[in-house]
Amino acid sequence: MSTDTQPDITSRPTGKVAREKLYNGIFFLCAALSVAVTLSIVVLLARDAVGFFAAVPPSDFFLGTEFVASKGKFGVLPLVSGTLLVTVLSALIAIPIGVAAAVYLSEYASERMRAVLKPGLEILAGIPTVVYGFFALVYVTPFLRVLGLPVATFNVLSASLMVGIMIIPMVSSLSEDAMSSVPDSLRQAGYGLGATKYDVSTSIVIPAALSGIFSSFILALSRAIGETMIVAVAMGLSPQMLDLSDPLSNVLGNGQTMTSKMVQVVGSELAGSDAGYKSLFAIGITLFAITFIMNLISNRIAARYREEYE
Amino acid sequence: MATQDGLETSREGDQQVSRMRGRIFEAMCLAATAIGLVAVGILLLYVTADAIRPFSADPGWHLVFFATLVVPSTGFGLYLYARDGNAGKVAYTALGLGLIGVLLAGALVILFVEIFPYGEWFALSIALAILGAVTVVHRRYRRHAETERTGLLIVTLLVTVFGIPPGAIAELLGLPFYIPSVRGLIASSPVLPLDWIMLVPSLVLPVAAAAGWFVRGRRESNRAGLVTAGAVIVGSVLGVGLGPVVGVGVEGWMLIVLSTAVPLGLYVESVLRRDEGRLGLLFPVVLVGGTLLGAVLTRTLGFAGPDPWLDWGFLTSATSTTPADAGIYPVMVGSIMLLIVIVLTTFPVGVGAAIYLEEYAPSSGLMGRLVTLIEINIGNLAGVPSVVYGLLGLALFVRFFQMPTGSVIVGGLAVGLLILPIIIISAQEAIRSVPDSMREASYGMGATRWQTVRNVVLPEALPGILTGTILAFGRAIGETAPLLMIGMAASVRVPPNGFFSRSGAMPRQIFQWARQFDPAFLNGVLPAGVVTLVFVLLVMNGTAIIIRNRYQRGS
Repeated sequence: MSTDTQPDITSRPTGKVAREKLYNGIFFLCAALSVAVTLSIVVLLARDAVGFFAAVPPSDFFLGTEFVASKGKFGVLPLVSGTLLVTVLSALIAIPIGVAAAVYLSEYASERMRAVLKPGLEILAGIPTVVYGFFALVYVTPFLRVLGLPVATFNVLSASLMVGIMIIPMVSSLSEDAMSSVPDSLRQAGYGLGATKYDVSTSIVIPAALSGIFSSFILALSRAIGETMIVAVAMGLSPQMLDLSDPLSNVLGNGQTMTSKMVQVVGSELAGSDAGYKSLFAIGITLFAITFIMNLISNRIAARYREEYE
Repeated sequence: MATQDGLETSREGDQQVSRMRGRIFEAMCLAATAIGLVAVGILLLYVTADAIRPFSADPGWHLVFFATLVVPSTGFGLYLYARDGNAGKVAYTALGLGLIGVLLAGALVILFVEIFPYGEWFALSIALAILGAVTVVHRRYRRHAETERTGLLIVTLLVTVFGIPPGAIAELLGLPFYIPSVRGLIASSPVLPLDWIMLVPSLVLPVAAAAGWFVRGRRESNRAGLVTAGAVIVGSVLGVGLGPVVGVGVEGWMLIVLSTAVPLGLYVESVLRRDEGRLGLLFPVVLVGGTLLGAVLTRTLGFAGPDPWLDWGFLTSATSTTPADAGIYPVMVGSIMLLIVIVLTTFPVGVGAAIYLEEYAPSSGLMGRLVTLIEINIGNLAGVPSVVYGLLGLALFVRFFQMPTGSVIVGGLAVGLLILPIIIISAQEAIRSVPDSMREASYGMGATRWQTVRNVVLPEALPGILTGTILAFGRAIGETAPLLMIGMAASVRVPPNGFFSRSGAMPRQIFQWARQFDPAFLNGVLPAGVVTLVFVLLVMNGTAIIIRNRYQRGS
């Protein structure tokens, strides 16, 4: 038996092993909670969605062109077309700007510029979306009118502009990561051949980082698809089918996305009508599936490109 | 000859063209980086102008403040920027600490007045003190019985917080009497102590002890520690006389001292001691002095200030149908309570998950595959739209667990689930940046895995974890969609009176105001609310950036 004065390094104080196991178990539970969250999203949303599809045939839901709960019409297409319109318009803004910003930050910017611009871009992503929605409604729409565009009070264009600005940082920061991880040897090879910085940026860095850039596009698009408050505040509450003969009227007029329909349904006293309430879950699980699959694809692409240079 | 000449000029022309092209390209890229920032900056200026209404003031008012505040502070700031970078950093940090401290003091006052009365806090701190005493005594007599100590602590905690009520448990133990909880004991005493008297032992003394301990360690002098602790206590207790005179009340004074003066004092002391950039300390003095001087001058000269929407009345009253009376106070309380729920639930779970994934998780075998799956899943959850989390909250907490619709607890849990993946990912990055050599040193000394995590990895990763989590909490405060989905109240006149009662929240209220058609709401009340929300967020982001700059690992 060892005495107290001599530290006994071979003994295992009572419960030490058990305690280690306990902590391991607790931390594992914390990590496993995320799987439980995913499962409960799927199970709970699917349960009510199934109830909805028992009342409303899936073909009516996915192919219907009118969503009027009071008339019992639950066609999701006008909502999908509203979402698509916002996503495409905001991508038109965010993708070129985001990639150009990433090129600047990764290839041209001095340390000092980076130290100012990068936190600045982070702040763009940190402003609450309801505030962006307020900007769109109160400042951007009147400004567009001053420019001479005949926009409605609630319109797709100003909401899309704000969604576009909001997702710029997603495109730029992920694309910049991809560009910075292009090995310098590639750049030096370019300079060695007499290429200018412009040539190196456009013909070497961007192509080499292309998969990373694409994965940032997909993530940003999935963010735009799921964006709720900007469109709920600034885009109006009437679902519009995309009119291919006159798409401009869609852009300047109002519309509704899947997300803002969900907010509207839960906010109105539709809770009484069973099918109306359950349509919430049908839309929700459609949205969840779209964004989840897009994120998976983006991860796949990003993972592939990471292997290339390591 | 001629051909050669032609070749030369064409090559030069080429070079010029490509140089031109390069310049244009660079300028376009810079413009792209800046355009979003500039647009949002202009929009923020517009909102602030709408909320403050600077043009409703006399020109003389503007002139006075321009002379006393804008000119000196800009001049001084430019001087620091050009001459003394260290002093600039000091100025920025001191100003930031002051702002954060004032905001924290406000939050603490709201916390104690609305949510967690002084008496409750007093009772809780006594319970914690008993817990500490039990630990010390037990450690002295039975040093190695760690499991027994853990059990004893849990029992003590339960008894002090809940007591042993008369009934089954008391009979089972054969107790002839029942033991009241500390809270019950205090509540049953014939005279309740004054609020500030309870605040002294429960908050002032611990903070004083912590500050003294901190200074003692840094200066390696017992005397300095004692002096610091004494100064904190004296400064707080001075409030008994001065608080009511200044108009903040005794408790308000104490909380301001503890949250603003103490950190600021410690910072000033460290700057003076290091003797680096002392000049920067003058910057906040110039700002505050200029403001005071301007206020005195405008009052004596009789210049009217602006009539802002965002004023004291807006911050302290409830929303109303008349724009002039509308305020944001009850939803501010709601947002603070939401944040409490979010912090208490997501911080431990998120950091725990990150510890598992970085320190414990096996990388091979069946468990290894499961861990990979968990990591992919966390990445995907971070991209799920917030409105879906709201739907999850509705289905899980409201409909399945039957929690009250729109209550603080449901809102906090729904938003908590939303930011959990963000917290896990940022905590993982912070833990990953702790060098392996430190872990190996700890293992080499015979420490177990948990001991290594607790004594080496967590302290080292803490600043990084805090930066990431504060940013995530900032995002949580502004989240609106989940709150709409779980039915947070659209307009409330009174603060929620508990975590299970229905409540509003700042972004929820902003959404409600955005649906009004009255231009006074759209161009007055709404901007005031937006500025309040954005200000809180900017201060939180600034805090995160200060922490990051201070502790950043040289990479």
